[in-house]
Amino acid sequence: MARWQLVLGILGVAISIVLPALLGSAYWAHNFLVVNLFVTVAVMQNMLLADAGQVSFGQGALFGLAATTTGIVTGLWGYGYGAGFVAGIAAALVLGLLFALPALRVQGYYLGFVTLSAAVVFPQLLVAFDSLTNGINGITVSLPGLTQAGRAGLSWTSLLVMATTIAALLGHAALRGTGTGRRMRVASVSPEAAMTLGIAPGRLRFLAFTLAALGTGIAGALYVPVLGFVSPYAFRVDLSIFFFFSVIVGGSGELAGPVIGVWILYLVPNAILAQLSVYRLLAYGMVALLIMLAFPDGVVGSVVKALRRRQMRAQIAPIDLAAVLQDENAQARNTAAPTAAAAITVQGARKRFDRLLALSDVDLTVAAGRVHGLVGPNGSGKTTLLNVISGLIRLDGGEVRLHGAVSSRLPAHRLAALGLGRTFQTPRVFEDMSIWQNLEIGADLRGTRNHWLLHALQRFRPAWTGNRPDLLAHAQRRVLETLRMVATDADILLLDEPAAGLSAEERRDFATLIRFLRDRLGKTILLVEHDLHLVWRVADRISVLDAGQIVAEGAPAEIADNPRVRALFTGAADAAGR
Amino acid sequence: MQDALIVLVHGAGIGAVFALIGMSFNVVFNSSGILNFAQGNMLVLGGLFAFLVLPSSPGIGPWFVFLPASALLMAALLAVQGYLTLLPLRSSVEQHSWLITTLAASVIIGAVLLIFQGTAQQTVRSPFPSFWFLGTRVPAPYALSLLLALVWFGLLRWFHTRALTGLAISAIAQDLDAARAAGIRVHRLQILAFAISGLIVGSAGFVAAPVIAIANDSGVSYVLHGFVAAVIGGLGSDLGALVGGLLVGMISMYAAYTYGGEFQDAVSLALLVAVLMGRPEGLFGRPAARRV
Amino acid sequence: MLRVADLHAGYGRVPVLRGIDLAARPGEILLILGPNGAGKSTLLRTIAGFIRPTAGRVELDGRDITGTAPEEVTRAGLRLVLDGHRVFPRLTVRDNLRLGVAFRGRQFDFGTIVAPVFEVFPILRDKLHAQARDLSGGQQQMLALAQAFVAQPKVLLCDEPSLGLAQALIPPILAFLRRWAAQGTAVVIVEQQIEVALDIADQVAIMERGAIQLAGTAAELKRDKRVQEIYLGLGERGEPLMP
Repeated sequence: MARWQLVLGILGVAISIVLPALLGSAYWAHNFLVVNLFVTVAVMQNMLLADAGQVSFGQGALFGLAATTTGIVTGLWGYGYGAGFVAGIAAALVLGLLFALPALRVQGYYLGFVTLSAAVVFPQLLVAFDSLTNGINGITVSLPGLTQAGRAGLSWTSLLVMATTIAALLGHAALRGTGTGRRMRVASVSPEAAMTLGIAPGRLRFLAFTLAALGTGIAGALYVPVLGFVSPYAFRVDLSIFFFFSVIVGGSGELAGPVIGVWILYLVPNAILAQLSVYRLLAYGMVALLIMLAFPDGVVGSVVKALRRRQMRAQIAPIDLAAVLQDENAQARNTAAPTAAAAITVQGARKRFDRLLALSDVDLTVAAGRVHGLVGPNGSGKTTLLNVISGLIRLDGGEVRLHGAVSSRLPAHRLAALGLGRTFQTPRVFEDMSIWQNLEIGADLRGTRNHWLLHALQRFRPAWTGNRPDLLAHAQRRVLETLRMVATDADILLLDEPAAGLSAEERRDFATLIRFLRDRLGKTILLVEHDLHLVWRVADRISVLDAGQIVAEGAPAEIADNPRVRALFTGAADAAGR
Repeated sequence: MQDALIVLVHGAGIGAVFALIGMSFNVVFNSSGILNFAQGNMLVLGGLFAFLVLPSSPGIGPWFVFLPASALLMAALLAVQGYLTLLPLRSSVEQHSWLITTLAASVIIGAVLLIFQGTAQQTVRSPFPSFWFLGTRVPAPYALSLLLALVWFGLLRWFHTRALTGLAISAIAQDLDAARAAGIRVHRLQILAFAISGLIVGSAGFVAAPVIAIANDSGVSYVLHGFVAAVIGGLGSDLGALVGGLLVGMISMYAAYTYGGEFQDAVSLALLVAVLMGRPEGLFGRPAARRV
Repeated sequence: MLRVADLHAGYGRVPVLRGIDLAARPGEILLILGPNGAGKSTLLRTIAGFIRPTAGRVELDGRDITGTAPEEVTRAGLRLVLDGHRVFPRLTVRDNLRLGVAFRGRQFDFGTIVAPVFEVFPILRDKLHAQARDLSGGQQQMLALAQAFVAQPKVLLCDEPSLGLAQALIPPILAFLRRWAAQGTAVVIVEQQIEVALDIADQVAIMERGAIQLAGTAAELKRDKRVQEIYLGLGERGEPLMP
């Protein structure tokens, strides 16, 4: 799916640089060099927005800073272009890190406003520090060695621009194939699910801003030989907005989107309104508005969506649980016989939200290799307890131990690395990855794709690689999320209402899966569930939570006969005397 | 001492404009969770209207006639913008399209200004003479802006707590589902909120026209200052916007006075980052802001 | 009257309702019971237009209102009272009531319309100018019901009116619903706890896993042991009770 976009993008870049040079059209050759520099920046913006989920309206400032720094070092201080190039990129990296700092604290429109402010302020500062930057007079840089046309009318500059832009496209595509790229997308879609897969979202945001600053910085440094002149006027806030709009118009997240987006927004007004440059701004504002109203997925995005809709009719192989359950690799997994040791110990857990005491002095022990059911009415604190154990919520008092070691002060992503897995009430399945990648993201935690589960499912790989999870029904998404957790090799599994939304038959299958996880794989399972029917059938022990306190604990038979528990669930005073 | 007074008075005057933008943000934000990036250019349009209709030495009479006209005109424009902004939000799962549509609206207004008047900055003269306050000359538009900010603060307070329509908008902000269950037509009221924000910036732009930059590229700066004002006070709180606006105005005026005008925006940016890192919910804000 | 036929709905991809049929007649109280997570709230929210059903039909007095926006459903005469006594916390009691009647236009006199409410819940008159957030949970529930009452709907849906209330506060609230139904309104109440509202109900339906498992008159189901079995997930469909 993505390959044709990559090919299309690279062809577009190469042709747009080579063809005008061959034809000897200086005007178009120059224009397309600028276009391709902008494409590079837009590719970075695309990665930042779609893969890392970061709204930055300030990429133009990074671009301008790199260009200005290169200009100063080369044009004013008289060092070679190489030194200027490096200095420019370094400056962009520093500013990129400054952008990433607020991103640790705030997201969405807050971050958008901060970066937009930076884009507004940047040219003002260039003017303010005119002793350093030459202010409004700008800096003229003459680099004849780089800009003179050589063979086939191509200069070193045009070759560098072409290489950079193609590298940016390839780099973006390559990033998506790596574990890091996948983790980035997971962290952007669902930070909390990411943490339970061992991912630290803040670190990936930093990485994304750094990568974007690198690419944008290179483009900015190349801007100097392309234009031969740097002035603050070129880097006003409009430029930043232009980069953002290019991504949206092309289609956020589509590999070829930035190429198409920049072409439409830059070339169309330039070609049609060449004589009326004042109309350019209007044209790109209107195009962005109309695209958002009519084709919210952007140009490439809409095409992709239409193609996918046609494909939707094709059926894909459903997730075959039997294949997993019968895999001989799985048989050998359960080496350790269930011991009496406690896998999870919660002691005196207390948690308060505002006026609500969600957990008051909860003690809970889950034996290794057992299924422990946790039941209770709505708002009794079950999910809070689960979030506490998985490290998503900090306790006010008390502690949690995993295999005897205190875990309640560690962040969620560390706990995941220690072998704690969890699922969520709504399955966290990542839509913009293939089904197969959704599984792989689990194995990524251990740094290997060589997981027995992936082998067991190998024959589904072709079908699952080519398809996205939006084709899967809810029950299959539930199974997919659970299998992904198995692929992390977690030995303690927390399941949050896995039966919700499953039909009676699907629940039976899920119960089989839970038993398989316990008996064959030796997993410890803490099961939060409303469906008591399921809990009676699979749990070895059950704890009943009410108003933040454990009110009963025991084997299923004891719990089912406990009058207090019966009254709790039915609200009937005579429940015991049936 | 005299210098401090000048900074204080001018800062409060321009801060009142920021406060007005902040309040206009709040009206829309409270009803729909949308922050209108075009609000700064809408203010500039209000100023442009003053430039177009007022003669070079205007009388007080026409000024009082055109003030409501400016407010109503901008209300109509904002209603249209609001309708367009809400359009994709009604059907699509993508709930962030407003980031782009309102930014695009801002770009379009700036572009139209560029087409009609180039990069020139228009000047408007106030019909009211400047006056002396504690030994400092105060241009009338500064005082009028402050007065307008207080009037709008009072009006909004009355509207949100007394008028049935305003109560309904408050209800949307407090509990969207309960509001819909009560039969409140949310979509219409959201568009109305856009229109009200137009009344605010339309009147603010007109009143402050002599002291704001009426140019194609000044809107972004105003929208940022308005945002900083609203964030410092706590998004959604009009009292916060009022206090935040005055604070931002005085601090940025101090920076401009001490270091030069080109550092005014930089100081606001630093202020914004400081607030977001330290106390993201602002002075009077409630922690969790709800969305559309 | 309210008629629901073969209703399917869910959140996103998660199916919750699997083919619900029910009818609520004027003057009667239909009680929908079911354990946690059975889909009771989803059912009410789907009927009231907050969730678009994937299949099925909702009719109000013979008029198809399937997929209509909630505010329009309310205006058509079907009013949902959400769970958790949700009122507008930073508005006064009086303003909460005014908003309840607002869509009916100006031809109604506020005093006349709220008089019956104040008769049943005099505390609301005493606290007329207090902010709703300063009321107790029970008083907020009274206010939520009063806000719905002044709208004079033909069908009232009430999601767990007893939730989070002290025992002593529940009877007057249920009595109010009973009186309300007697005026010719079709009332649908959702409760989790079996016995809370059983005495005031005419018809009862037991929901579990998104479907209605049992239905009948209140008198019939009072004696039916299967109700508790369903609640506890014990022994239905011939499956073993324990593993």
